[in-house]
Amino acid sequence: MNACVASFAVSCESGDRTGVRTLQREQELNRFLAEVEKRALRIAEISVRDRDEALDLVQDAMIKLARKYADRNSDEWTPLFYRILQNGVRDWHRRQAVRNRVLVWFGRPGNEDNDYDAIASAPDPGGRTPDEQLQSQEAMQTLEIAVGDLPARQREAFMLRTFEGLNVAGTATAMGCSEGSVKTHYSRAVHSLRESLGEHWQ
Amino acid sequence: MKERKDKVADEAFADKAKQLFDESVEGLDGETRSRLNRGRQAALNELTAGRSVWVQWAPAAGVAAAAVVAIVLWTGNPPVDELTPEASATDFEILLAEDSFEMLEDLEFYSWIDLDEDAEVAVEAEDIVG
Repeated sequence: MNACVASFAVSCESGDRTGVRTLQREQELNRFLAEVEKRALRIAEISVRDRDEALDLVQDAMIKLARKYADRNSDEWTPLFYRILQNGVRDWHRRQAVRNRVLVWFGRPGNEDNDYDAIASAPDPGGRTPDEQLQSQEAMQTLEIAVGDLPARQREAFMLRTFEGLNVAGTATAMGCSEGSVKTHYSRAVHSLRESLGEHWQ
Repeated sequence: MKERKDKVADEAFADKAKQLFDESVEGLDGETRSRLNRGRQAALNELTAGRSVWVQWAPAAGVAAAAVVAIVLWTGNPPVDELTPEASATDFEILLAEDSFEMLEDLEFYSWIDLDEDAEVAVEAEDIVG
């Protein structure tokens, strides 16, 4: 009978340990997603130029990360999360391209990227004078449009390195390419942006 | 020299871009933040739902296994107290039987008969061969 009670106790203890571990993992993942979600949204928004679509893409990326990679080391989550998100953005662009071709075939104009209203989707920063806010908003809107016009790989490299602050190795993992490619794409992106925005932007 | 100047200018550009980006992130409106929060909760629910069935049912399985073992131990083997009187009674009957005592007294006789039978069998076998 003692053996029976002991096996029950071990079973319960094992279940409790697993439950505690899962709860800790859940809290850890919650902290990670809460920390990264706003920047991820803005990065996706600049890529697809639509906040609702960007919100869907970020949510999909969060769900996929939780479903497939929650048991990975938390250090790996950032590049994995952005890899999922970038794949989602690429799929979105492919679907949009197909959709636009179909709409053109039926004689209706496609939903061009130029429909993006940077002013309407501009954030509402606080704590500064209206002039400062306006200047910052205008500068960010100009930057957003310029970044959005970059070739996809350059845009990804620039946003992951500059906006998210990933290092070269992390960016390479997120983009699914070599570190050398990241350096090339990033360098070209910065030069292209500086050229298109002009000296006065700085 | 020019490369160094370019590098400094690139870094300054990236710093400003980062600063503007961070400001735009901080300026996200309440509705967007709320939607992000809901999306995050949906992802975390996925994590909970993804726990293996074994882990979810482990405590219940432990209780069930313990109950089965307890039932087997309780009903499978009769208590020792019920066995003891029967064994004692049987032993007592054997000990009380008079034949048993006689057999114990004549053990040497039975042993001699057994040896004699073996010897007769050996002689018969030699006659057949001879």
